[in-house]
Amino acid sequence: MCGVPGQQNRNELIAELEEKARRIRVLVVKMAGMSDCHTGGALSMADILAVLYFRILTLDPRNPQWSGRDYFILSKGHCVPSLDAALAMRGFFPEETLTTHLERDSMISGHACARLTPGIDVSTGSLGHGLSIGVGCALGIKMDREPNRVFVVLGDGELQEGSNWEAVMAAAHHRLDNLVAIVDRNWYQTGATEEMMRLEPLADKWASFGWSVLTIDGHDVAAIVDTLESVPFEQGRPSVVIANTVKGKGVSFIETRHMARFDEAQLRAALHELGA
Amino acid sequence: MAKPFARVLLELADADPRVCAVSCDCRGFIAPLAEQFPQRAIEIGIAEQNLIGIAAGLAVRGKIPFAIGMNPFVTMRCFEQVRTDLGYGARNVKVIGAYGGGVVYGGWGCTHHAIEEMALMRLIPTMTVVMPADAWETEQAVRAAAIREGPFYISLARGAAVVEQPEEARSFELGKAVLLREGDAATIIGVGPTVADALRAGDLLESQGIAARILEMHTVKPIDREAILRAAEETPVIVTIEEHTVIGGLGGAVAEVLAEAGAGTPLKRIGLQDVFAVMSGSQQDLKSRYGITAEAVVKEILHPSGAGAHHKDTKNTKLRGVP
Repeated sequence: MCGVPGQQNRNELIAELEEKARRIRVLVVKMAGMSDCHTGGALSMADILAVLYFRILTLDPRNPQWSGRDYFILSKGHCVPSLDAALAMRGFFPEETLTTHLERDSMISGHACARLTPGIDVSTGSLGHGLSIGVGCALGIKMDREPNRVFVVLGDGELQEGSNWEAVMAAAHHRLDNLVAIVDRNWYQTGATEEMMRLEPLADKWASFGWSVLTIDGHDVAAIVDTLESVPFEQGRPSVVIANTVKGKGVSFIETRHMARFDEAQLRAALHELGA
Repeated sequence: MAKPFARVLLELADADPRVCAVSCDCRGFIAPLAEQFPQRAIEIGIAEQNLIGIAAGLAVRGKIPFAIGMNPFVTMRCFEQVRTDLGYGARNVKVIGAYGGGVVYGGWGCTHHAIEEMALMRLIPTMTVVMPADAWETEQAVRAAAIREGPFYISLARGAAVVEQPEEARSFELGKAVLLREGDAATIIGVGPTVADALRAGDLLESQGIAARILEMHTVKPIDREAILRAAEETPVIVTIEEHTVIGGLGGAVAEVLAEAGAGTPLKRIGLQDVFAVMSGSQQDLKSRYGITAEAVVKEILHPSGAGAHHKDTKNTKLRGVP
């Protein structure tokens, strides 16, 4: 294949994924127009989810439990609205389901719930659980000598939970190169993360535990694609992507905010910003 | 119980490729498995939260992991992981309290006593909770755990056989109390190491011509309601004995069954009465200081204390003539 059409295909792919990310944001904003929502952290990882669900993860929406799938664990389970949006867009359940957020008997939940929502592998909500579960899942795949991979998205504030570092240590010790952690580094929890409990130098911390680390702009879809297509970064080592993001990305007036519920005017303004 | 446990674990792993083990610095328990199936015997060091998370992840991948740690730590340090990742997560993980529960650690101190393990594990929806009395029962419990789908806790036994029956006459069924001795003057219910105390109390009573029923309640959850209610109907008093806090453990579970059925049979719960066992000495020293003994059981049957003593049913006709 000659370079020019390849480049063109690439540009088309990136544009398509950017559109998917925009669509995830629109759906999240609509959910935040109907109910309380961890909008900020859901929006900051929209580009990462778009790339994972529409480019990277091997999945079968008609058979969510297919043993050949890649596993995805949202360790920052409170940000599930953007995962719900991605799963709906990917065909795990109808998009109309998203209008039932927090309603009685909805199949989507306020925190990621594997028992209610098709396509969610692990229930989360309490921070600091997802990475250990990812380590176990990756070990199980190694026992089977299968090529499946495990992707875990973590919040940055979440890394203050000590249990994460037990998992970081174990993943490197067991040489789990089928495990990929993505840190949604949006720099805010309920307040500024570095002020509340410093994480920096964050990349050094992961590297010193034995992980292969790449730091990228978590809203640069082309960079996310290139990075996630190149895992494992090194044979015999787990990979971590520190994705620098903006909390609330896409809706300027809620940037850095943790929770946001929109009234009618805010909803219109937010959708307008997203071109919807 | 490292040896019988490790032997059965290997036997199970040999029969089912999904069976594997994660050890929290409990190498002896997985050594035979590690020798035969190195990839299925995972050491993760001293990190209980990670232990349970990893076991949950292995179950996500369809494995049947045994997660092994010391009783107080594997039930308390990572309680939330056990509750959320295994209970709420509905994972087929077997949590093993490896070195004995209750006050088996004696003078090694309260950090190593697992007096809350029964109450804590019982709290978790769908969790099965078992404390075998000896090696034979440990083997049966581990086999039963592998077959039963869902989260499972075993507080491994420590020490010699306590049950006097020959192995071929014994039976083990989850959720079914073992009737060790028949009797109608009282019912004594023991669990784990206190089965030995219950049997000795039975001997002491027998020497006075009193026949006590002795039940071994290896499955604390789901508890054998039928055996408890039958005892409430057929014997005038029930005494439970455990090395744990009486709140929420065996005694608590029996109390719930009796109260809910409106049985009205007096119940005495022998165990730690809302205290830590703070003292230097052996397991036996602790048990005698804190009243977890065969003598305490006998005393409660012959000369009941507390509110139960005034209950109508304490006119125990089976004891007539006893001073």
